[in-house]
Amino acid sequence: MPTDLDNSSTASGEASVSSSGNQTAPAPKPTTKKKRNLPGMPDPDAEVIALSPKTLMATNRFVCEICNKGFQRDQNLQLHRRGHNLPWKLRQRSSKEIKKRVYVCPEASCVHHDPSRALGDLTGIKKHFCRKHGEKKWKCDKCSKKYAVQSDWKAHSKICGTREYKCDCGTLFSRRDSFITHRAFCDALAEESARGPSQTQNVNLNSESDPKVQTVNSPPPAAAAAAAAQASVPSQPTSSSAPSQPAALPIQGSVGVPELPENPPEDAAAVTQRKGHCSSSNSSSSNGSTSSSVFASLFASSTTSGASLQPPAFTDLIRAMGQPDQPTDLAPSSSIEPISLGLSTSHASSIFGSAGQERRQYAPPPQPAMSATALLQKAAQMGAAATNASLFRGFGIVSSSSSSTQQDSMQWNQRQAESDSASIAAGLGLGLPCDGSGWKELMMGSPSMFGPKQTTLDLLGLGMAAGNNPNGGLSALITSIGGGIDVAAAAASFGSGEYSGKDLARSS
Amino acid sequence: MMQFTETPPQPLHQIVTTPPFSPNLPIMNKNQTHRTRPWPGFPTSSKLTNFGDANCMEQLLVHCANAIETNDATLAQQILWVLNNIAPPDGDSNQRLACAFLRALIARAARSGSLKLLAAMNAAQANLAIHTHKFSVIELAGFIDLTPWHRFGFTAANSVILEAVEGYSVIHIVDLSLTHCMQIPTLVDAIASRQDGLTTPPLLKLTVAGTTEDVPPMLDLSYEELGSKLVNFARSRNIILEFRVIPSSYTDGFANLIEQLRVQNLVYPESGHEALVINCHMMLHYIPEETFQNFEPCSSSSTSITTSSSSLRSMFLKAVRGLDPTVVVVVDEDADLTSNDLVGRLRSAFNYLWIPYDTIDTFLPRGSKQRQWYEADMCWKIENVIAYEGFQRVERLEPKCRWVQRMRSAGFRSVSFGVEAVNEVKAMLDEHAAGWGLKREEEDLVLTWKGHNVVFATAWMLA
Repeated sequence: MPTDLDNSSTASGEASVSSSGNQTAPAPKPTTKKKRNLPGMPDPDAEVIALSPKTLMATNRFVCEICNKGFQRDQNLQLHRRGHNLPWKLRQRSSKEIKKRVYVCPEASCVHHDPSRALGDLTGIKKHFCRKHGEKKWKCDKCSKKYAVQSDWKAHSKICGTREYKCDCGTLFSRRDSFITHRAFCDALAEESARGPSQTQNVNLNSESDPKVQTVNSPPPAAAAAAAAQASVPSQPTSSSAPSQPAALPIQGSVGVPELPENPPEDAAAVTQRKGHCSSSNSSSSNGSTSSSVFASLFASSTTSGASLQPPAFTDLIRAMGQPDQPTDLAPSSSIEPISLGLSTSHASSIFGSAGQERRQYAPPPQPAMSATALLQKAAQMGAAATNASLFRGFGIVSSSSSSTQQDSMQWNQRQAESDSASIAAGLGLGLPCDGSGWKELMMGSPSMFGPKQTTLDLLGLGMAAGNNPNGGLSALITSIGGGIDVAAAAASFGSGEYSGKDLARSS
Repeated sequence: MMQFTETPPQPLHQIVTTPPFSPNLPIMNKNQTHRTRPWPGFPTSSKLTNFGDANCMEQLLVHCANAIETNDATLAQQILWVLNNIAPPDGDSNQRLACAFLRALIARAARSGSLKLLAAMNAAQANLAIHTHKFSVIELAGFIDLTPWHRFGFTAANSVILEAVEGYSVIHIVDLSLTHCMQIPTLVDAIASRQDGLTTPPLLKLTVAGTTEDVPPMLDLSYEELGSKLVNFARSRNIILEFRVIPSSYTDGFANLIEQLRVQNLVYPESGHEALVINCHMMLHYIPEETFQNFEPCSSSSTSITTSSSSLRSMFLKAVRGLDPTVVVVVDEDADLTSNDLVGRLRSAFNYLWIPYDTIDTFLPRGSKQRQWYEADMCWKIENVIAYEGFQRVERLEPKCRWVQRMRSAGFRSVSFGVEAVNEVKAMLDEHAAGWGLKREEEDLVLTWKGHNVVFATAWMLA
C-alpha cells in the first residue's frame, strides 16, 4: 500500500492533492471524541489523499509495458514484471512508521469530500463513490434491483428470492408469520390506521411522540403524587391545551408534553375511547376527545391512586419503547428523576433511577399502587413476619428517593446494622425468622462479593463447621446463590421493588 | 449412569462424609428410568468432572429433596453446599438447570418451615425471588418467535383450525393460550389469505379468558388493549374481528367462561353457521387435576385416570364437549408433573426441563436480556413444581397419553393433522436449530428435541 501514493501520482499522473492532514484537514474539534464507529472520522495525523474520479475508478492502473496487462496495485505489477525478466522493484516497507492514509471522496458535494470525514481505506472510498455517486450498472435478474458495486450485487443475488418483510417500525423479518405476529402488535400499524386526522396538535403528538418511552417517567409518580398535583389541577382538564399541562404536573414539562397523550392509562373509558378512536373515522373532534379523556383518566388515576388504575397505566407507558429510532434510554430518566423526586413521595423515582441503567422497558411495574410510605407502614405492621426482609430490601432501594421515607429507611438500616454486628448468630440459631446475617449482604447486594471463588472459600470455612455454627455458612451460601442469580437477573435492585410488592400482596 | 460407571459419586463421600448419605444411594438408584438421555457436547470444568454430570446432579437434588422432606437440616445444608458449588447460575446448561432446582429446593425448605435454619433464610430466599419479566407485546412476539416451543403448536393448530372452519360464515375462536393471543395474528392472516375476494370474509369472534393469575410469560398490557390491537390488525387484513374478554380463571376450570359460552349457545341456538373453535395452548395443565374424592393421598397416574371423571380438569373437558365445538385443539408440554411425591416430581421435571436449557444456546447468546427472561420463566416453573403444594402448585403437566384418555372419555375423537399441517410445521422447524424434530404419533404431532418429546399437538372433534 505504501506504493499507492507514489504511483498514483507518478504512474497515472492524476493524483491531485497529497498532503498531511494536519495542514489541510482541520483537525477534528477537540471537544468531540474520536468515534471509531462513525464512518469517516479519521485520525488527525493521517495523510489525506484525494484522487480524481477517474483514478479512483480505474481498475487496473498499473499496466505492464510488455503485455499490457493491467494490475490494481503496483506491487502486483512488479511481481508480474519478474516474469518478463524486466527489472522490478518491490518497495520495502520503510522501517519508519507508516503514515496512516485516508481518502476523501472526489464528489465536492459529498460529506466525505471534507478531509475531516475522509474514509480510512481506498476500497472503502471506491465503493462509497460508486454507490453514492456512480452508475448502478449491476442489475439483479430476479428482482431488477440495481447495484453500483459488483460485490453488493453478488451479495444480493445470494439472498434474493428469500423473502424479506419489513415492518414500518424498521424491523426486518425473514418469515411471514414472524412478520405477521409482529405487525399485528406493532405500534406502527396502530399509528398507520389512527393517523390521518388533521388536527394539528394531536397529530403532532401522535406521529412524533411515538417514543412513548419517555413518557414512562410520568405516570406512577403522577399517580402516587396524586394529592399534591391534584390540588392544583382543574377538575376538568378537558380543555387543557398541552402546554398548560406542565403547570399541573411539572414532570411533563420536563419530559416534553407531547408524549403524554399517546399513552392513555388503561382505564376502561380510555380503552373504549381509544377503540372508538381507532375504528371511527378519526375526525378531529374525536381525536380531541381522546386526548382529553386521556388527561382525565390520568388525573382520575392520580386522584384515586387506586390499585386498579395505576399499574396498567404504568405498564402501558413502559411498554411503548418500541421504536428503534428513538434511543431515549438514559437521558430522560436522569433529567426527570429529580423532578419526580420533588414531586412525589412514591417509590417511583428510585425505580426510574435504577431502570435508567437498564432500559426503561424492562422495568417491571410495582404491583400494588401504594405509596412508599403506605408500604412502609404496612411493613411495620407486619413486624417480624418472615417475608419482611424482602420488603425492607425493596424499601432500602425505594426509600432513598423520597425524603419522607428516607428517615424510615434509615431506621431500618440502623436496625440492620445492629443486628448484623451483634445478634446474627443468636438470631439464626434460634431460628428467628426475621433476623439474619444474610440481610445486610443482601441489602448491600454488591455483585462482586458473589464471585464464585470467594464464595467457595467462604463456604469451605463455614460450611464444614456446619454442626456448630451453620448460620454463617448457610447464609453465605444462600446469599451467594442469590447474588449470582441476582446478577444474572441483572435487574436486581429494581426487581426487588416489585417483589416487595408481591410479597406484600401475598402475605396480606 | 451409563457414561459414568467408572466414576460414580464416590468423590462425594470423600468431601462430605455423612452417614445418612450412602445408605440413601441405593434407594435413589432403583427407579432411574431416564438414564439414556443423551447429553451432547457436555462441557465440564476439569475440577468438577464428576459432579458436572446431569445424572449426578439429579442424584444430589434428590438427596437434597429427601433431606429437606425428612427435616435433616445438616444433610440438606451439606448437599446444598455441594450443589451450590457444582451448579453455578452462570454455568453450562446442566449447571443452570441444577441451579434452578437448587433454588427451588431452598424455596421449598423455606416455605415449609420444616427446617428452622432454612426458614431463617426465608428472607434471603425472598430475594432470590425470580424476576420474571413483564413482556411488552412486541417483546413477547419476538420472544416466542425464537424457538419452536410455541410456534410448533401455533402452526399445527392454525392449520387444523383452518381446515375445520372452512365454509363457515362466522368463526368463534376461544383462545385459551398461555401466550396471550400470540397465535391469533397468523390465524387471522391465514383466514384472510384464503379469501378469494369473491365471497365475503367470515366474521371472526375471539374470546379469551382474562385470567387473574400471573403465570409467565407475563404481559404488561391489558387484554383490552391487546384486543384493540388485534381488532385493528384484523381490519387491516379486511377481517372483522370481535374481541371479548371473559374474566375467568383456570383455578375453577374456567367456569365463568364455560358458563358464558353456554348462555350464548342458548341465546343463539340457530348459530349453525358459526364454527366454535376451542384452542387450548399450554393452558389446560393449569386446571387442577386432583380428584375430589381422594384429594390427599397419591393420585398416581393410574388412579387419577380411573377417577378422573371427577377432577376439575375432566369436568372442564366435559363442559367443553357440551358446547358442541367444531374443533378442539389441545397443545401442551409432554411431561408428567402431577406426582404428589416431591422426589418423583423432581425427577420428572429434571428430566424434562433440561430441554429448554439445552435448546437455549441455539437461539440466544449468553448474557442476553432475553435469555435472562427465558431462564427466569423456567426458574419460575421449576420453583412452582418443587416448592409449592396444593392449589398453589399450578404447573401440573400431564403427558400426551393422559390427555388423549381424558379427551376420549369426555366424548371426543381425535382428528388427524393433514399433510398441509405437517408440511407447515416442517417448514417452520427448518428455520430453527437442527435438534428440533417432528414426530407423528397416531393422529397427533409431537415436537421433539434431539429425539425427546417436547410438545404435543392434538386435534379433536365430537365423537
